[in-house]
Parts: sequence; structure tokens; C-alpha cells
Amino acid sequence: MTDPVISLRDAALSLNGNAGRVDILRAITLDVAAGETLGLVGPSGSGKSSLLMLIGGLERATGGSIHMMGQDLTALDEDQLARLRLQYMGVVFQSFHLIPTMTALENVATPLELAGHRDAFARAEEELHAVGLSHRTGHYPAQMSGGEQQRVALARASAPRPKILLADEPTGNLDGSNGAAITDLLFDLRDRHAATLVLVTHSNTLAARCDRVIRLRDGQIDQNLKAAE
Amino acid sequence: MSLRLAARLARRELRGGIRGFRIFLACLALGVAAIAAVGTVRASIEAGLEQEGAALLGGDAELDFTYRFATPEERAWMRDNASDVSEIVDFRSMAVAERDGQTERGLTQVKSVDDAYPLVGAVGLSPDMTLEAALAGKNGRPGAVMDQLLIDRMALNVGDEFALGTQQYILMAALLAEPDGAAGGFGLGPRTIVATQSLAQSGLLAPGSLYSSKYRLLLPPDVDISALEDQAKARFENSGLRWSDARNGAPGVAEFVDRLGAFLVLVGLSGLAVGGVGVSAAVRAYLAGKTSVIATLRTLGADRATLFQTYFIQVGALSLFGIAIGLVLGGAIPVLLAPLIESRLPIPAVFTLYPAPLMEAAIYGVLTALIFTLWPLARIGEVRAATLFRDALSGAKLLPPFRYLAIIALGLATLIVLAGWFSGTWRLTLWTAGGIAAALLILSVAAGAVRWCARRGGRALRNRPVFRWALSAIGGTGEGAVSVVLSLGLGLSVLATVGQIDGNLRNAISGQLPEVAPSYFFVDIQKDQMEGYAARLEDDPSVRRVESAPMLRGVITGINGQPARDIAGDHWVLQGDRGVTYSDQPPNNTRITDGAWWPQDYTGPPQVSFAAEEAQEMGLKLGDMLTINILGRDITATISSFREVDFSTAGIGFILSMNPAALSGAPHTFISTVYAAPEAEAAILRDLSTRYPNITAIRVRDAIDRVADLMAGLAAATSYGAAATLLTGFLVLIGAAAAGEGARTYEAAILKTLGASRGRILRSFALRSAILGAAAGAVALVAGIAGGWAVSAYVMDTSFTVIWPSALSIIIGGVCATLLASLAFAMRSLSARPAHILRAKE
Repeated sequence: MTDPVISLRDAALSLNGNAGRVDILRAITLDVAAGETLGLVGPSGSGKSSLLMLIGGLERATGGSIHMMGQDLTALDEDQLARLRLQYMGVVFQSFHLIPTMTALENVATPLELAGHRDAFARAEEELHAVGLSHRTGHYPAQMSGGEQQRVALARASAPRPKILLADEPTGNLDGSNGAAITDLLFDLRDRHAATLVLVTHSNTLAARCDRVIRLRDGQIDQNLKAAE
Repeated sequence: MSLRLAARLARRELRGGIRGFRIFLACLALGVAAIAAVGTVRASIEAGLEQEGAALLGGDAELDFTYRFATPEERAWMRDNASDVSEIVDFRSMAVAERDGQTERGLTQVKSVDDAYPLVGAVGLSPDMTLEAALAGKNGRPGAVMDQLLIDRMALNVGDEFALGTQQYILMAALLAEPDGAAGGFGLGPRTIVATQSLAQSGLLAPGSLYSSKYRLLLPPDVDISALEDQAKARFENSGLRWSDARNGAPGVAEFVDRLGAFLVLVGLSGLAVGGVGVSAAVRAYLAGKTSVIATLRTLGADRATLFQTYFIQVGALSLFGIAIGLVLGGAIPVLLAPLIESRLPIPAVFTLYPAPLMEAAIYGVLTALIFTLWPLARIGEVRAATLFRDALSGAKLLPPFRYLAIIALGLATLIVLAGWFSGTWRLTLWTAGGIAAALLILSVAAGAVRWCARRGGRALRNRPVFRWALSAIGGTGEGAVSVVLSLGLGLSVLATVGQIDGNLRNAISGQLPEVAPSYFFVDIQKDQMEGYAARLEDDPSVRRVESAPMLRGVITGINGQPARDIAGDHWVLQGDRGVTYSDQPPNNTRITDGAWWPQDYTGPPQVSFAAEEAQEMGLKLGDMLTINILGRDITATISSFREVDFSTAGIGFILSMNPAALSGAPHTFISTVYAAPEAEAAILRDLSTRYPNITAIRVRDAIDRVADLMAGLAAATSYGAAATLLTGFLVLIGAAAAGEGARTYEAAILKTLGASRGRILRSFALRSAILGAAAGAVALVAGIAGGWAVSAYVMDTSFTVIWPSALSIIIGGVCATLLASLAFAMRSLSARPAHILRAKE
């Protein structure tokens, strides 16, 4: 394997809740190579989404180390993590998480504006065109269907041409046909930008399209499989 | 479905607690508390005035005469009906003291008394002694007691001598408490008390001098005061007698307290309107959070009526709770602070709980809650089961069904009618209601305009993400922007209006007036002194102008043979006595607006020229017959002309001017104004006072300062009322910030995920607050200027200039208030971990 773009060593995540300390993730060691597509599968509560959040710097590890593009995420503060995401990552969520007060175009343009692109809106229009939403640029999230919202979210994640795409059950809230369309779009984007893709899914079909699949159980890596297996 | 079911559902819903209703409760409680507190203080003072009526008046009843003492017949009537009688004389004079070769002069309001004074209460002196002993004086000199303020001003010590007119007095004590001090109303100088008999050689009570004599009566316990009043009026009213009694011992004070109280209640109502905006926003936010519950209940078969009743009962119960908190606070705070308030009041007050003002505040609270909650509650019916997990209210119609609008309109009309009825000032109530409605309308339009501009601006401001996010947030969600602009805007509008009125009034009184006003008013100049008086001033190059006129005082008792009050009501011209002059030609700078001045040397039946504006207000027309009681004699004169009288320059202005033949035979004095260079004022006063000790000089600048002090007190009271309104506005602001916290936290989480730093997000949050605050401030600025102008132009009749420091501080205040409220909540939004927030939304 060439130098991994994502590398976790004994990464752990524990949360203190009302019921006491809960270990969400334990001793996760994992490398993801550039251009690889990694699927994270496992039963509900196994820690898939938490692992994705750790990789994205959206959650702080309580143990071990996480390196992304050579940088130790555990040593970065909130703003440094935000800058790292801006530079390298796009994230897609199951619930889309579009900003409700912004139109589709504005949502997509936001990361480009943050990165200081002068042509943010022109590029955002291109991205929306690429996901088939040229006609919805001026619409607010509440005025769009779930499938459309997820396409806007995909466009937003891919607009800055990220080296790493993180997707948390991107088809989880969609019906079969919308889900398939989003899956095609997601893989198409990965191919277009030669990005590394890490996705959490319950879908066997989606997992089958990954280069590698990791199965989690009780916060630990249970199996590390090639997709074909 | 039954109301009982709705009540059961409401009870279950309320089990969740009142967390989302804190601002709702605070808004209602604060508005109701402010009104209840003002009402309680007013009722306490009114009770104090009633209870202490006899002490304030100085007796059970008082007969007041202008310019003269009671006739033997009148004295006999008093003796026959009263168990005790005391005579006092009230007039202005100059106290003059020689000290180390320097002459100190001070204007004083003199009260000369007989041995029976005071019939009720006691005079407090320092050093402690009886008034009788003090006035007896020592070493053959009569004694006097003087207000500490005047003692200090004239640098006197107890034991020093001073003169009133040509009579020397010895200062025996400082006057600490005067039992009937509050009833006298506004005096231009501090009080001096002397014995009436000591004034015989003073030259101050010469015929025509301006004084009033008051006869205080102690009545036997079984006397029917009302019947006695009728008897006195029937027998002596044509003699110019004025009657007061202990049922209303300080009528001027009582009326002032009543008016000020009514005005402050109306200011309180504007606070309640601001609170109403918060109440409405809180109900909207609560119902938005309950959308899924409502949709679920619909799925289960609940009809619109049941759902409406369920939430109406909840909101109604919470409203009553909020109103109850307000009543407890508004009733208890004045009682708890009674010692503090009493120490600052110059009049007695009986602090306890009064049901009437609490009832009034409760009614206002209930109506406000109804008016402001019905609109959002009416929209419950629009939630469909099919929209269970959608933004159910976003596509709702703009207006609720007609029946709800009709109830809201009815509630509003009832509120205005009740406010007018309770305050007794219909015109002011309607102006206030109109002002609040206009301000709310302008603010609603402004809120819409801000949102529209924000949407447009957001699209235009590409590549400036901080600005664009702020504008998107303002343009994208209605509730936050509308609530903030409405509530803060209305609160700031009230404060801005008060600021502009206060500033213009101060300008008019302390700024412009001294420039156009004379330096001195000289009163009580005897006819034979006029020549010497004029000669002294004519030779002085520093004197720009001198205006002199004969002056008598008279009471207008009849119009066309009818009692004057039956024709012209309670117009101020009829309240008490007015100055009357005579002249054979119209004064300079006077314009006759209608009719004609009498010819020179006219000796026919009396004619009178009346001030045009006041005549119009009183409904007088040319040819009307006025009966004016002067020195106990009725003179009936025909109105032969109307003329403009400008009272705003503090020059000589008489409502009534008569032909010389009608009055010149009556004993009278002259009044004169002197316009002189400030550096010459002292010399003029010294020369004239020394030469004519009976003349009283009123330095206009001092009088203006006294009025300005009084106005400052009124402005302070009004500002407290406006501050309560602003505080309510700030609460609504906090409510809006709290309601938006979840949305901002979510937005911050997404923006962080997309790579935004906390600093950028914070700047965006701050910017949106500043924009909304500035919008609210800008509207308040316009409303304040418009309101200030309207009051200046139509109520106070003064010129208007924008008081920019006050106006700009309103905008800055608006920006700071919104920034403060929003940033206080932004910190939590910024510190939340994105993963927690985003996953919670999954």
C-alpha cells in the first residue's frame, strides 16, 4: 500500500452519559489508501457513524491517534480541523443537513466561498447541473424532496473537489430508485475527482461496490474484507 | 369532541413543564406588573391625599380670595359655621439681607399667618421651637422662619436680620415641615412664614398688590361639607370666592397625580404591546415544536375544534399564571418599596394593596394575551395529518379564518375603550393606540423590507460568506427577524419618542426660551412708582426693551349669563384667576384676528379683547358677554375682538384685555418685563429693589430653571415607564435568541463540517444581530422623530428639532441590545460538537 491518506492507530471513543461511561469505539486500527473506496458496515449501534465522525474530525478521539493527509487530528483544535475539512474533505449525511435558510445554489456555493473561490457560484451551478438540479437552484431545502436534497448535499460535498469523500448512510432516508440514483452519483463523483471514499451503509448493494469493507461490532473491527468476499 | 377532552389533553401537554414559556410568562408578567405598580402608586397617593386632606388643606375647608381680605359679612358667616378659623395670606416678595456691605436678594413665596395657624398638623422648625415663639421674634423685631434652601442661597444664619418690603425681620429658625405645603402647588420661590400683623408697615399688601387670602375652617364633626359648600357658593360666589375642602385637600396635586398616572399607564400599555409580540412569538415557537403532536392527534381523529381548544386552554392557563405573577409583583413592589418612595414624595401616600388598579392591570393583561395569542392559535387548524414530518406551517395561509380576526378586532376595540375609560383621557388614549398601531405597522413593513433586502443582498454578496450567511439567515426565516424588529423596534420607538419630546421641551425651556425671554418680571409696581421705574431703565443703555402693563386678577364666572363652566367646561382659562389688563390701543406685536379694538377714550359699556386660540377652544365668538369677577366685583364685558397672544416667549401675555374706563378706577399695580444684557441684570435689580422695596423681581432664568427641574422629574418618571417597555423588548429579544438557538447550533455544526472557523461563524451571527438591531433602531428613530414632532407641533405648540445624540443612541442601543442577546446564546451554539448536533437530527 502507498502512504495511506487516513490512518488510525488504536483509536477509541468514549462518552460520559447519564448512565455512566460508554465505550463507543475501541482500539480501531485502520489505513485507507488514496483512491480507495472503503465501506463501513455493521449492526445499528456498532459504531460505524462514530468512526466516520472521528475520521472527519467531527468527533474527538478519546484514545489512540488519527492521521489524515499526514496530519494528526488529535493535535488540532476546532478551527484547524475545520480548515483541514475545507481543504481535503467532503461529507454527506443520511439526513442531508442542508442549511434551511439557504437556497440549493447557496448551500453548494458555501464551501467554495469558504475556500475563497471567486467563481464559487458558477462552480456551484455546474455541480448542481451535474447532479441534475439545474432547475432547482433557487429553491430552499424545505421546497425539495428528500432525493433532491441529498443530490444538493452531494453537489455541496463534491464542489471543492475533495480528496476524501465521507458518506454516512447516504441512501438511508431514500426509497429504492432515489437511493440507486444517489449511489450512482456518489461513485461517479469519486471517479471524477479520483477521491478516496469512506461510506457507512446498511445496503449490501452499496457495500458490494466498495474496494474494501470493514464490519464493526460493539465498537471494534470485526472483519476486514475485500468487497468480493 | 368535548371541551373536557381538550382540557384533559391540555393537562397532559402541560406536564412537560413551562420551559418553552419562560419568555411568554416574563413578557406578560412584566407588562402587567408595570401597569399594576403605576396604578398602585397612584392609588396610594390618592388615598394619602384623601386621608390627609385636612392637613394638606390646613383645615376642613378653605375659602380663597384674590387681592383682598374677607369682608365682615364673609367673616361673620365663617365664624357662624366653623368651630375655628385661621387666616393666611400668600404672596411673592423679595427677601433682602445686608451682609458685610453686600446686599443679598432672594425671591420668596411668603405665607403670613395668624395665631390660629396651623389648624391641622404642625410646623417643623430647626432649632426646635413653636411657630408662635418663632414669629414673635426678639429684641422688638418680628420673627420669620424660612426654607433652608433660601437660607443657604442668601447665606443667612439663624439670628440674622432680613427685610420683606420695608419691614425688618429676624430669622428665628429654618422651616423643615409645612403641613399645608403640598397644597399650594407650583411656587417660584422657597417659603418664608411671618405673622400677618407684622406686615402692616411693610408696604407689601397695598391695594392692587398681588396676594391671595385664604381662610381655613375647622368644622364641627356633624357638618355636611357638601351642603356647606353649596351654601357658601350660593351666598358668596359672585364675590370671587373659591372653595376647597378636605375631601380633596390638594386638588392641583391630585389632578397632576391622576394625569401622570394615566399617562404612565398608557406608556405601560405600550410595554404590554411589546410583550404581546413576545407572547405571540413564544406561542408560534411552541406550536411549531408541537407540529408533530398536532399532526399525530389529527391522525388519531382529533378535529380542529378539539385541537384549538386543547392549545387555547394551555395558553390561557399560562396567560393567567403570567398575569398573576405580574399582579403579585406590581402590587407588592410598591408596598415593599413604600419607605423609599414615601421619602421621595412631597405628599402623603398610603401604601397597601388596592384592588382597582390590580383589576385594571389584569384586564389589560387578559386582553393583550387574547389579542396576541389568538392569531398563532388559529393556525392550528391548518396542520394536516399528511404533513406529519414536513415543515407543516411553512405553507400556511397568511391570515387566520375571519372569525378569529373578528375576535381579535373586538378584543382590541375593548382594550382601547377600557384604556380610555380607565385613564379618563380619550384623546391621549387614542393617540397612544394610534401610535402603537402605526409603529407596529411600520415595523412589520420594515421587518418585511429587511427580509426582502436580505434575500436580495444575500444573492448579490457572493464570495463574502460571512455577510451572505447573515443575510440568508435574516431573509430565510421569518419569525426571528420579525420578532426582533417588532419587539425591540417598538420598545426603542417609545424610548426615542420620549427622548425627542424631552429634548425638545428642554431645548424650548432651557435653550431657546432664555434667548427670547426677558431678564426680569417686576410685579406689584404701584402706579405712582411707574414714572421713576421707567426713568431708571430708559437711561440704561444695556436695557433693550421694557414692556409694562397694568395688571389686575379676575375670575371668569359667566358667559352670556350662564355659569362659565357650563359653557366652556374645564378649560384651563377658567381654572383659578387670570391676569387682566387694560389698554386704549392694541399692544405692539399683537395682531387682531377678528373684530376691532375700542376707540381711544372709549367710555361706553365694558369691552374685552380675548386671546384668539383660547377663545376658539372655549367656543367663544364676537359679541359674547363675559362676566369677570375682579376684586369681588362682577364686570360684564362684550367680546369686541380676538387677538393672537404668544405665551411661548415668556413675555407679557394677557388672555383678557379690557378698555381702560372699565378698570382703571380699580386699585391695581403694574407688571413689567425688562430685556437687558445679562451683565447689567444685577445692577438693575439692586437699584430698583433698593428704591422700591415693595416691588418683587422674578428673575426669568431662575423661573425657567425651576420649570426645567420640574420637567426633568416628569421626564424621569416617563423614562422609567419607557424603560419598562424597553426591558420587555429586551426580554422578547432574548426569547427570540433562545428560540433560534437550536437553529443556530445546527447551522454552526453544518458550517463547521463544511470548513468554517468559529470566528467566521461568530462574525456572521454578530452581523445578523447587528443588522436586525440597526433596522429596529432605524425604524425607532423615524417613529421617535415623527412622534416627537407630532407632540411638539400639536400638543406643546413648540418648534421641533431632532435631538441627534438621543436619536443616535437609540440606534446604537438597538444594535448593542441585539448583539448582547444574540451573542450570549451564540457561544453555546459555537461550542457544540458538530457530530452530536448532526447525529441528533438523524
